[in-house]
Amino acid sequence: MGFSADSRARFNLAQVSVLVLEETPLGMSILVQILGGFGARKVYRCDTVEKAERVVREAEVDLLIIDAMGRSGAGFDFVRWLRRSGIRPNCYVPVILTAAHTPAMAIARARDCGAHIVMAKPLTPRAMLDRIIWVARAGRRFVECDGYVGPDRRFRDAGLPRGLEFGRRREDGLMLPG
Amino acid sequence: MSEPARIHTPDIPLGRLIRMPGGKNVGQAVSDAEKGLETLHGESMKELQRVLEKAEDYYNRANKKFDGLLVNAFYDLINGAIGLPTVGKDRAIDSMLVSLADLLDYYRISGEWGDKSVQVHLNTFQLLLRTEGARDPEGTEAILSGLQKVSRKAARG
Repeated sequence: MGFSADSRARFNLAQVSVLVLEETPLGMSILVQILGGFGARKVYRCDTVEKAERVVREAEVDLLIIDAMGRSGAGFDFVRWLRRSGIRPNCYVPVILTAAHTPAMAIARARDCGAHIVMAKPLTPRAMLDRIIWVARAGRRFVECDGYVGPDRRFRDAGLPRGLEFGRRREDGLMLPG
Repeated sequence: MSEPARIHTPDIPLGRLIRMPGGKNVGQAVSDAEKGLETLHGESMKELQRVLEKAEDYYNRANKKFDGLLVNAFYDLINGAIGLPTVGKDRAIDSMLVSLADLLDYYRISGEWGDKSVQVHLNTFQLLLRTEGARDPEGTEAILSGLQKVSRKAARG
């Protein structure tokens, strides 16, 4: 992960449908401003789990940004439900889970609920874009078993081998300058 | 008997959509998003003031004693405010909120209450809000470092 501040690499969120689950109005506004700045046009704004579940049942989404929703952990439960819902293709869609206070227990819950990645608040545009581009990369395996449904938790992003400036895959090229 | 694990690589449309022609470059996108966030600055400061007033109310109602319901509500309030100050790029208030959330999380689990530790956080909250946009960075850093020590010390007992 990571890109330079002056990167001229292009990306396009204009056709991407994003579901945002965030219960506080200002927290929602922050995410909507960030996504709008990135060029996302279709954002489903949900302030309750019930509304988010309805969107998942009725529309196809390409990315979910889900708040953990504090002590209740309702955001974790929503992702767990999504992964086991069998609603395709939404059940496989990348999930970025956001959390405010992040004790170790919350991180473990986030990992085990089936989110692709966890972001601790405060959210900055740069960090959010970095994570969106990271989860968009193809090739993350999905595991479905009795105790867990979600992206393979065994991964390591070790970056490029020493001496290489650019990666060889097309996805790596997404972040190339120019 | 448990089912064997199924491992597969689903098609992720996001990967294709994000590479479609057009769009924005990274620098422009981040700059546009930051401009959008600036429009929320006033609202964010107003909300932080409301959070401070509510936090002081919880602190006074605790009356130097542990109250489980109150500490949970206090923790929820602070937890919900983390991230709001960054709208105005105010990392200091966010650091203070995280430190206070650490402290309250410890108290709500342990059943203890440290009146002075909470008070020093709220005093700092007040100070940071009052001096927003006009702070000495070194002094602010020293205050925040002190707060983190208070939280860690409380958690060690």
